[in-house]
Amino acid sequence: MSNITITPGRSAGTPPTPAGKHQRGRTPRRPRKPMTSQFRTAVSPHQLNTTRGRIIYWIVLVVVVVSFTAAFVFPLYWMITGAMKSSEELNAIPPTFLPEHLSFDGYLEAWDLLGLGTLLGNTVLYAGGAWLLTLAIDVTAAYALSKLRPVLGKVVLALMLATLMIPPMVIMLPAYLTVKDLPIFGWNLLNTPWAIWLPAAANGFNIFLLKRFFDSIPKELLEAAEIDGASPVRILWSVVMPISRPILGVVSILTVVNVWRDFVWPLLVLPDSEKMSISIGIASLSSQMPQNVLIASLVIASIPTIVVFFIFQRSIMAGLTAGSLKG
Amino acid sequence: MKSRKLSMLLAAAIALTAAGCGSSDSSGSSGAGNAPTASSSSSGAAAGAEAPVSITVNCMPPKTNAAQRKTFEEDIAAFQKQYPYITISKATDAFPCYEPRTFEAKLAGGELETVFYVNFPNVGRLMADGQAADITPYTSELKTFADYNSSLDLFKKDGKVYGLPTDGYGMGLVYNKEVFTKAGLDPNTPPKTWAEVQAAAKKIAGLGAGYVGFGEYSGNNVGGWHFSASIYGRGGSVITDDGTKAAFNTPEGKAVLENLKQMRWADNSMGSRLYIDWPALMKAMGAGKMGMMLGAPDVLISLRNDFGGKFENYAITAQPEAKALFNGGAGYMINPKSTPEQIKAGLKWIEFEFLTPGKGQLDYVRAKNADLTVGQPYPDLYGADTPSGQAVVELRKANANIDAAQFAGWVEGSKGIPSKAEPGPYAQEIYKILDTPMSAVLTRQDANIDQLLADAETKVNSLLASKG
Amino acid sequence: MTTASTPVAGRKQRQPTKLRRSVKRNLTAYGFLCGALICFAFFSWYPMVWEVILSFQQTNFVDPAVWVGFENFRTVFNDPVFAPAWINTAMFTLLALLCGYAIPFVIAIVLNELRHARAYLRFIVYLPVMLPPAVGVLLFQWFYDPDYGLFNQILGIFSLPGLQWLNSTSTALISLVIVSTWSNLGSGTLIYLAALQTIPSELYEAAELDGAGLFKRIRHVTIPQTKLILLVMLMLQIVATMQVFIEPYLLTGGGPEDATVSVVYLMYQYAFNFGNLNAGNALGLMLMIVLMVFSAIYLRLSRDNTV
Repeated sequence: MSNITITPGRSAGTPPTPAGKHQRGRTPRRPRKPMTSQFRTAVSPHQLNTTRGRIIYWIVLVVVVVSFTAAFVFPLYWMITGAMKSSEELNAIPPTFLPEHLSFDGYLEAWDLLGLGTLLGNTVLYAGGAWLLTLAIDVTAAYALSKLRPVLGKVVLALMLATLMIPPMVIMLPAYLTVKDLPIFGWNLLNTPWAIWLPAAANGFNIFLLKRFFDSIPKELLEAAEIDGASPVRILWSVVMPISRPILGVVSILTVVNVWRDFVWPLLVLPDSEKMSISIGIASLSSQMPQNVLIASLVIASIPTIVVFFIFQRSIMAGLTAGSLKG
Repeated sequence: MKSRKLSMLLAAAIALTAAGCGSSDSSGSSGAGNAPTASSSSSGAAAGAEAPVSITVNCMPPKTNAAQRKTFEEDIAAFQKQYPYITISKATDAFPCYEPRTFEAKLAGGELETVFYVNFPNVGRLMADGQAADITPYTSELKTFADYNSSLDLFKKDGKVYGLPTDGYGMGLVYNKEVFTKAGLDPNTPPKTWAEVQAAAKKIAGLGAGYVGFGEYSGNNVGGWHFSASIYGRGGSVITDDGTKAAFNTPEGKAVLENLKQMRWADNSMGSRLYIDWPALMKAMGAGKMGMMLGAPDVLISLRNDFGGKFENYAITAQPEAKALFNGGAGYMINPKSTPEQIKAGLKWIEFEFLTPGKGQLDYVRAKNADLTVGQPYPDLYGADTPSGQAVVELRKANANIDAAQFAGWVEGSKGIPSKAEPGPYAQEIYKILDTPMSAVLTRQDANIDQLLADAETKVNSLLASKG
Repeated sequence: MTTASTPVAGRKQRQPTKLRRSVKRNLTAYGFLCGALICFAFFSWYPMVWEVILSFQQTNFVDPAVWVGFENFRTVFNDPVFAPAWINTAMFTLLALLCGYAIPFVIAIVLNELRHARAYLRFIVYLPVMLPPAVGVLLFQWFYDPDYGLFNQILGIFSLPGLQWLNSTSTALISLVIVSTWSNLGSGTLIYLAALQTIPSELYEAAELDGAGLFKRIRHVTIPQTKLILLVMLMLQIVATMQVFIEPYLLTGGGPEDATVSVVYLMYQYAFNFGNLNAGNALGLMLMIVLMVFSAIYLRLSRDNTV
């Protein structure tokens, strides 16, 4: 587990303090010797080290590993091999465990027919843009609310946090109308990345996380910089940002994953088949595709996620654990 | 190292927002940019037809249907050559052309193409909601307009024309000859009554696992759509002639459901899968293990071009015991936000691609050479005795490359049977309600048909009452 | 500490500067805030207000909107699908809680005890959470196929009769719950796991000295110690699952026999299939009020927890 242990509300956002360091020391690492752990759990270590305890432990371990693999890995295996089967083979009763022959035609067809390259590119564009914009907007806003404390700052903060009470789904219709015809400006943002980026930046939870983190930055640090003549932008940039890396990481991950996993909103605001995100594209094209091509497209859509997740799993899991406690 | 990269990106992003805050007119306007919606150019109306105009179209055949897609692309090029002032800036290829999921979102957002495809059940609703442009003033410029058969009536409201049908047909019974043969049935004498359908379905289902005798829809409005087609065939109606009340809680309506219930539960000849959207049943039919389904002649072509079916295996015959045929089909409408120039250009495109005998999709010479089928008895747009109607029929006959027998049963059997239009402007909502009895008889052995129809009747009555 | 030592004498002189500084600070602050204010105003605050307004109006966005009082609510309320939609949503939430709430906690407790393969198990449990949402749903659509689907084929191996899954009123809703649970199990598990690791060892040791067995220890130490997070998660899950949409949208279209119509799906249908955006809004407002209750409890709880 990552060293960011989290309690709701008081999530990832404590800057590295001596207490934090201490915690790090206590964080469970993979034990070198079996059957000991650096932290105590419900099962007593003494019981665990008896012969009976060991037998039970191993049985449980095997059962858990096997059943989890069956529940979470086997479907993926079935998906990857299913895409290599012909339609006849897919409909064979009983099914074949291994594809009759190794064929990647399904994948090639899926890539070509569904335009998966475009769809993936779109999704990366939406997620990446949302990430940058969200960081830029929410970091500056949270900093202003935390350190510059303008008039009515408390009201603004309260209004922003109030949005946490209302899940985006229930205001999707008026939000959709807003995007379709932006008040005052009269712009139609449908089918543009802005329709994803801008609403993503209006995230009360990010503001909340960031502001609380900034609150904990010692005042002296900033005042010292101010006396040196640094401008607020400069202070934010050179003083605040570098020590805020953990929370920036959390906010980044939250934002990217939210955009990546969103379905309804892109469904509404990106109806053009060339602008769709990968989920919407596959869903709307799924009906016409032969089964093996559809499955292949699911595999292809999953690969980037699996790879990215594999590489960044620690930070992603830590970030989302902090962040999924969101209203 | 890592943090520096991050901070550089952040710097870029902050700069970006700052720019966004400062100069409001810069970036966001790209959203309104090249939309087909023409808010910009309406002033040029007086400049005449030669002013440059840009339109968007949809219903380009999907990549899976490569041959037809190629003809469509050729046509776009040829069309722009013929009318140099018209640019088709985009052709969209959603499939099916009416794909409810994206169509509805686009429609609500006013994001539909300048010229957009619409199937008959949606026509009334779009006209009622003002979501199609009035094209009455421009119809005189269409050379074949006078030759239209009654399918055009569907696109008329209060004496105005809101679109052009490009495809019209009556329902029939599509069946798989190969499956018939396997089941020991004669593929050349398809069922003529529902009793025969039931018997044939039972035999087909007896072929073994995976075989389905008769496939039917039950969700996403297509269930109600096929219920309507079935009840029309039996001589019933869905709503009263004045459109104020439900009219399907009748012996005819009961017969439709009773028949399905028998096949599903007594004979177990309908499989256990529900087909909840249009492609689902098509996919199953195309896979070659389904015996029969209700459908129009275009189903055969779509099975061939889009669902990988072996074309020669399929045939269509008349809907059993049909007293009236559900008037199916599709056409094109124009986005109401279009300028007059765009409407004119859009109509030119419809005319070029779908309405001119020997051109576009009616270019049967090219179709024959492009691995497409010629000879199916549709699209059926023009009156049989009109010049356009005769031209289409002759060209089709001269270039036919399919076995006419595949459609003969339908052509012969449907002769003289009156066609009946879909149930009013709220057809989609009514279909949605009728999905319920359809899915009920197909999922519950103890489904109470009287109760189901009575419930649906109440729902439709209150729907119609609320719509006034 | 530098500010505190500012000489008193300099104060008077700096008075105007201080004001100017305050103005400057406010300007800078609002400069920093402007992006967020714009985004929130357009995409959060304005839609929320508009949600309420639209619910009481009839509008087609061509003619001026007409105030119609509770007409939209009446329309929605009289819709025969209204009651099933709420019942289905409530049932879905309940079933999803039974599966998606208890199971992750049990998994977390078990995972917490294991000394091996932890990284692997955590990774695979969490993997579905990371997949694009349509992938899991469409994958299960294939698994659910009564003839060729994986599930019935597995049942067949054990000579059990196949189920109808999505194709029967009795199993459709639970099938949706299974998909949703499979996709979302991981996040709950990880949160509980994190919470479990904050439980002080002494408590277990003390309980053990008191002679408490394993289950007693779980009951008297683990659960009380994680009570708050369990409650918070309960509220979160209720709020999340009551918004169920993608599963009925992609898998069942609300059928068979309206057995899987959810409130959000009905709202979508009003807006995009029946062209009655206002009725959809009215329904959305009802849901908003229900969800706000749970959200409020959640926020309350998490604030308590901060202390």
